[in-house]
Amino acid sequence: MARTLAMFTDISLCIGCRACQVACKQWNELPMEDPEWTGTYQNHAHFTDKTYRLVRFVEKPQADGRLQWDLMSDVCKHCAQAGCLEACPTGAIYRTEYGTVNINQDACNGCRYCVSSCPFGVVAFNHDTGRASKCTFCNDRIHNGLGPACAKACPTESIQFGFRDELVAKAEKRVAKLKEMGYKEARLYGADSNDFLGGLNAFFLLLDKPGTYNLPDKPKLPQRNVFVDSLLSVGSAVLVGLGAIVAFRERGQGKGGGDNA
Amino acid sequence: MLKTPDWGMMIVFYFFLGGIAGGSYFTAAIADNFGGPRDRQVIRLGYWLSLPLVLICGILLIADLGVPARFLNMLFTFKFWDPMSIGAWMVGVFGLFSFLSCVLSLSSSEAMVTLRRKVSLVGTLAGFFLASYTGVLLSATALPFWSEARLMGALFLASGASTGMAAISLLLFLSGGSTGEAWGKVKRADRYSMILELVILAVFLGLLGSAAAPIIQGQFAPLFWGGLVVAGLVVPLVLDFVGSKAKTLVALSAILVLAGGFILRYVLLMSIQA
Ligand code: SF4
Repeated sequence: MARTLAMFTDISLCIGCRACQVACKQWNELPMEDPEWTGTYQNHAHFTDKTYRLVRFVEKPQADGRLQWDLMSDVCKHCAQAGCLEACPTGAIYRTEYGTVNINQDACNGCRYCVSSCPFGVVAFNHDTGRASKCTFCNDRIHNGLGPACAKACPTESIQFGFRDELVAKAEKRVAKLKEMGYKEARLYGADSNDFLGGLNAFFLLLDKPGTYNLPDKPKLPQRNVFVDSLLSVGSAVLVGLGAIVAFRERGQGKGGGDNA
Repeated sequence: MLKTPDWGMMIVFYFFLGGIAGGSYFTAAIADNFGGPRDRQVIRLGYWLSLPLVLICGILLIADLGVPARFLNMLFTFKFWDPMSIGAWMVGVFGLFSFLSCVLSLSSSEAMVTLRRKVSLVGTLAGFFLASYTGVLLSATALPFWSEARLMGALFLASGASTGMAAISLLLFLSGGSTGEAWGKVKRADRYSMILELVILAVFLGLLGSAAAPIIQGQFAPLFWGGLVVAGLVVPLVLDFVGSKAKTLVALSAILVLAGGFILRYVLLMSIQA
């Protein structure tokens, strides 16, 4: 595997221009959608099959009655342990040699299981193609020596692209600096590979608690449930089976005592 | 903001019929291996019911994909930890066992019967799987309502058993076989399954706590409490105890159990997808 690539989104630098959102649409040839009223400047409310990069406009009322904006450009996290990828029954969702997570459209069969298996609600079903879609980390670009379109378009370097280890080191310095400057709640999200989901290959610097930006505190891999739930199903099967055996058993005759059906 | 898969009625029917197919098969298999000569009809009905149902299940699964041929894409991959992957395979495996058991039940030669019993013991495992994996499939998602209680698979299994047995009981009634002792046995096994289902359901709701809101409050609550808990489980149990002599009442209770099993799948799937 090649060295892991990453995107680092530093929301303290975002000015809400949505250049990333537009660049993503252009490069990936994603059609326009009708705008929707979300209550803020944000459009759309969430990722869709045609919106892979989304600038969140979070309005935070201040003590003096004014509003403060937190602007956060959200994207697929390209999780090191990805729920969507584990859920995919066809192998259409795969990991590239750069560590990113991509959907092979030709292999996708449209079962939609990945949609509900992403802990961040990223994957969306495209009703036109009948297949699942999400951010590709500009798979075509990174295989030709370019960074993702969003990172390229960002005028403030709020979105940075590079090798993961280098970006994490950069991000750690940046968060220390912000803390110094008085941003008490500043934190990295997904940078630490030991924290959750093996680390996110698109990680963030947040200015507040993850919930502020619609992110779960401690996302977990949904497939972790399979083992215990299966064991409990086996328990249920044993009880049902015993009940049926008790009901059907022929006293005194035992197994094989009957003739044939 | 998590996303739901927007599975529709085809998947509700798939879950429901898959439960009955698995349930009726393992009921027949257990009767076959542990019962006696009087259970002959139960055994036949159970096997023969599971075959068309699993065929319908396969058709529903494929149809839900929109482009049927894309079903083939699943056949290049096998992920044993992924309910969606292994489930698709097991529909086929179960279908095979169901088919074999049906064919073998046509002959009454000693050798065939012995073989059929052996086959059905293994097939029972596939039946248990088919009835429960759909629950585990839901719980292996990121959606709290589906994933926070650990008992979705166990609940589906108990429901698959109770509906599978109710279906056999109803068919016995309709085919005039409702006189023999065998009917009593099916009803007894069904009663045990329903009691287990009620217990699991109670623990399930307890574990979910406030995450159970989609079914215990609001629009879907009447259907859940009235349709499943009362009409689909409690009333049939009471009917079985008090009216076990009146055959029509028992048949009615079987219909209620079947309706309850459908409602269980319907509310669990649709309440957060509406
Ligand atoms: S954020 Fe969601 S869609 Fe992206 S890799 Fe992780 S699980 Fe998959």
